[in-house]
Amino acid sequence: MSESKFRAAVIGLGRMGSTFDDEIEQGGQFFMPYCHAPTYTASPRTDLIAGADPHAEQGEIFADRWGLERGQIYADYREMLEAERPDFVSICTTARLRAQIMIDAINAGVKAIWAEKPFTLSLAEADEVIELGNRKDVAIAVNCSRRYNVFFNEARRMVDEGELGEILQITAYAQCNLSHNGSHSIDAMRYLAAGDVEWVFGEMESDEKAAGDEDLMGNGYMAFDNGARGFLRGTPTGAAPWEFDLIGTEGRVRSLAQGMEAQYYRWVPGGLRDQGLPARAPFPLPTQIPSSGLSVIEDLVDCIETGRQPRCSGEDGRKALEIAIALRESHRRGGRRVDLPLADRSLRILSVEIREDAVPARVRRMQRN
Amino acid sequence: MYRAAVIGLGRMGSTFDDEISSGGAIFLPYCHAPSYAASPYTELVAGADLHAEQGAIFADRWGLDQEHIYGDYREMLAAERPDIVSICTTARHRAAIIQDAIQAGVKAIWAEKPLTLSLAEADAIIELSARNSVAIAVNCSRRHSPFLTEARRMAQSGELGDILQITAYTECYISHNGSHAIDTMRYLVDGDVEWVFGEMESDEEAAGEEDLMGNGYLAFDNGVRGYIRAMPTGIAPWEFDLIGTEGRVRSLSNGAETQYYRWVPGGLRDEGLPARAPFPLPLSIQGTGLSVIADLVNAIETGSDPRCSAEDGRKALEIAIAMRESHRQGGRRVDLPVADRSLRILSVEIGGDAVPARVRRLQQEPVVA
Amino acid sequence: MSESTYRAAVIGLGRMGSTFDDEIRQGGQFFMPYCHAPTYAASPHTELVAGADPHVEQGAIFAERWGLENRQIYADYREMLEAERPDFVSMCTTARHRAAIMIDAINAGVKAIWAEKPFTLSLAEADEVIELAAKKGVAIAVNCSRRYNVFFTEARRMVEEGELGELLQITAYTQCNLSSNGSHAIDTMRYLVGGDVEWVFGEMESDEKAAGDEDLMGNGYMVFNNGVRGFLRGTPTGAAPWEFDLIGTEGRVRSLAQGMETQYYCWVPGGPRGRNLPARAPFPLPTSIPAMGPAVIEDLIQCIDSGAPPRCSDEDGRKALEIAIAMRESHRLGGCRVELPLADRSLRLLSSEIAQDAVPARIRRLKGRWP
Repeated sequence: MSESKFRAAVIGLGRMGSTFDDEIEQGGQFFMPYCHAPTYTASPRTDLIAGADPHAEQGEIFADRWGLERGQIYADYREMLEAERPDFVSICTTARLRAQIMIDAINAGVKAIWAEKPFTLSLAEADEVIELGNRKDVAIAVNCSRRYNVFFNEARRMVDEGELGEILQITAYAQCNLSHNGSHSIDAMRYLAAGDVEWVFGEMESDEKAAGDEDLMGNGYMAFDNGARGFLRGTPTGAAPWEFDLIGTEGRVRSLAQGMEAQYYRWVPGGLRDQGLPARAPFPLPTQIPSSGLSVIEDLVDCIETGRQPRCSGEDGRKALEIAIALRESHRRGGRRVDLPLADRSLRILSVEIREDAVPARVRRMQRN
Repeated sequence: MYRAAVIGLGRMGSTFDDEISSGGAIFLPYCHAPSYAASPYTELVAGADLHAEQGAIFADRWGLDQEHIYGDYREMLAAERPDIVSICTTARHRAAIIQDAIQAGVKAIWAEKPLTLSLAEADAIIELSARNSVAIAVNCSRRHSPFLTEARRMAQSGELGDILQITAYTECYISHNGSHAIDTMRYLVDGDVEWVFGEMESDEEAAGEEDLMGNGYLAFDNGVRGYIRAMPTGIAPWEFDLIGTEGRVRSLSNGAETQYYRWVPGGLRDEGLPARAPFPLPLSIQGTGLSVIADLVNAIETGSDPRCSAEDGRKALEIAIAMRESHRQGGRRVDLPVADRSLRILSVEIGGDAVPARVRRLQQEPVVA
Repeated sequence: MSESTYRAAVIGLGRMGSTFDDEIRQGGQFFMPYCHAPTYAASPHTELVAGADPHVEQGAIFAERWGLENRQIYADYREMLEAERPDFVSMCTTARHRAAIMIDAINAGVKAIWAEKPFTLSLAEADEVIELAAKKGVAIAVNCSRRYNVFFTEARRMVEEGELGELLQITAYTQCNLSSNGSHAIDTMRYLVGGDVEWVFGEMESDEKAAGDEDLMGNGYMVFNNGVRGFLRGTPTGAAPWEFDLIGTEGRVRSLAQGMETQYYCWVPGGPRGRNLPARAPFPLPTSIPAMGPAVIEDLIQCIDSGAPPRCSDEDGRKALEIAIAMRESHRLGGCRVELPLADRSLRLLSSEIAQDAVPARIRRLKGRWP
């Protein structure tokens, strides 16, 4: 790993870009630093050197909070890219502009991009960014942060090392819109199942919603190429908030209550006709618990140096979107299985966050008060 | 950066971490040398050990020049002038070395447990360190466990209601690892023990000074009652159970699992039911050793007591001795403090300590021709 | 088991004798029928033939609830014993009169007694009842009902079949007075461990309480003759209500929340340095769950037929009392271990139920509601 520090900049100075961590008081799902600016500040590998946002209020708060000079804050991200020549750039704007900004950043010569989710709105946008990123050797990590959470990493390690046997089922309960937070749940399912989805069946919350391009809730059945089957309940989940249940022939891992609790089950002798019983064993914690954000940086630095893909790559971001769109297509076709990849690349989901994005959420809140 | 040196270059001083493959009770770096190497506050500058093999392994493992390895720790103290010194020798010499280190002008000491063999030795060290303003941290490392620290925070903030009971199942000798168990009980309860009752494993063992197993009933000054089973615990290895009127935290399987219970409505006649809720994880989990060093640096800079102070080390020893006295007196409650300061327990580690454990192991291994 | 139906009568027609079951909506600790009258009514082996209580209101409610004629209700239990000649008699009065009533019942020729806990107030009373019952061949079951609860009987089976390995520790968290509900707690510890207590250490809630004979709360450390050690926390237990934790070298059973949850742990491979980890496995329920009251009846009938002691015998009742008293003696002696058996048989614990027992609790409640 090279010794020099990378220059890092944030585009989009709202909550995820800057102050999300200040609201979090409990770990499990999050280990600090988590979001972009505090991570660049804390990492020994990066210096936070600039921010860009068209809204002056956002820039001021950002400069204040992270000790930057006014000269380091830009209204126009293109100017920032030009003047500051960052190595790392975080894309924390509304998803509406994400593809365009990523393309501009790649063309401006950045080494790595840390993008918020969802990756893009349409498949065509995702195709374009990935193609360009590959051509210019830019590492793109999408912030589906469960891939950088120690409990999920440990579950995946157990899968990779065969400790759960053959993976049979991944079930997710995640009340969410399919593109916005659904990209988290779909990506976590792919990560845990360690496979790719070949076809899906989906039911959306209503025919009207399914007919449009707006973000929406829905349930889905997924067939993975390694034989695993997935079920996502994205409609309301009641007393099962954000839960993943990974079931193999030899073991099972459940992540409950937004990641606050992880359970591990394995066979012990006993049961009806001595078929064995699943017993709950302590979840095997690793010897170090890394911060989520710092893990992303370490991953991206390693990608820059070795040319490999990040743990949650642009490709992973595209697949989460494609699965969500395929689930909706299944509903649109009257409830019919849909094979991946999708031929029509113009399909898109307008992630819920882009509603009202003319004014940033924080500025809207300030104006109301 | 503080200059740090290790005295006693065996397992805890040097290579303990290399054996650890799962977390929970331990997060790496944990033991002395790896913590000094990793901490941003310290630089590992020297080691001392009578046994040349130990020194050679230490120099190799931690990248020190042979000239920084000393056969005589007094020479090391004089030549290297360390700010922080770790005492990882057999407990037999700990008191003498601590006193020499204080006289040599160190700022802080990180001592292995048990602090001393006798109460008189502990008294002398505490008096001398107070006079010279030297911070002493005893390595009862559960005080730096993120889980137990969170449990204590919950107790102190009233989230568990009034604390009533602390139960510990910890198969161990009451001075050697018993100092961990007793100290953890005091830490969780945040009180001091006023009197104890104890039963030792046998009358013969209780009559002597060798380390021994036993059970005890502890009456704390804040009304809490404690029960420790240090006799064999079978399938309940290293467990702490902290019970309050409103909530309860259990640490199971040597820290591998932590459970939190709180009241929910229901039950026979609606008296409520204790339900298991996700344990509230802290936002960041650092290496245990790094937490000790940060604590000691804070003690040096502010004059505060370390989280596990020499006083805490003395109290753990005094409680163990009082439990044995209870047995010696035919099974009778014994008030603290213990008047006879010459009382001591020969911590089990000092058996066979003429040759370090690792050297004994090396000697036993067959020579391959 | 004999084919005939036994004539059963209840003495003391309050809550436990009659209507306790009507309040219970959830199982775990209780499987119905549980208390005396509904059990006699439900059991195929018994017929409920009479009740006795000096308080007329109690008798009226009992007759109505269990479909007895008024002439089957007696104010004087001696008259009832004389007139009805019951085979089974339940002792559900205040503990104050239990020993005297049991003696009268034995002398009146009953075959079996089902007595509420605590068995007696003093050790001398217990000695006398046990001696007389043995002489007359009367089976006495004390209603420490966990011995008839399937989760506890299954745990005991696991102990006996070695599934928990060598037993090491029994811990109980049971906020209670040592004689009143403490007799449940202590008896359950003895039952699970399958051993007898050799000596105890105890701390009572206060020196004042320990000095008197009134029922009181306290904690205790017990040494069993099979090497097991017990810890009872009978002072307030907060978020750990009525819990038993039985630990062996190979397995562990925990009964939580008044028996509503039972956990079983056994070893699985893993853990630091491969020393294995305790994993929670499903608790092995048997294929049928017996109702608790009928289980007592079956047990007593078998005792009548075979002469064997009941699962929770008078001897067990005496031992629970003796352990409780020994814990208090330990405190009285300034915190000192106390060996069993106790030499001074006059020692006693005035079970908390006898406070205000001039008027039955239900009548006190009825009067409170309609002044």
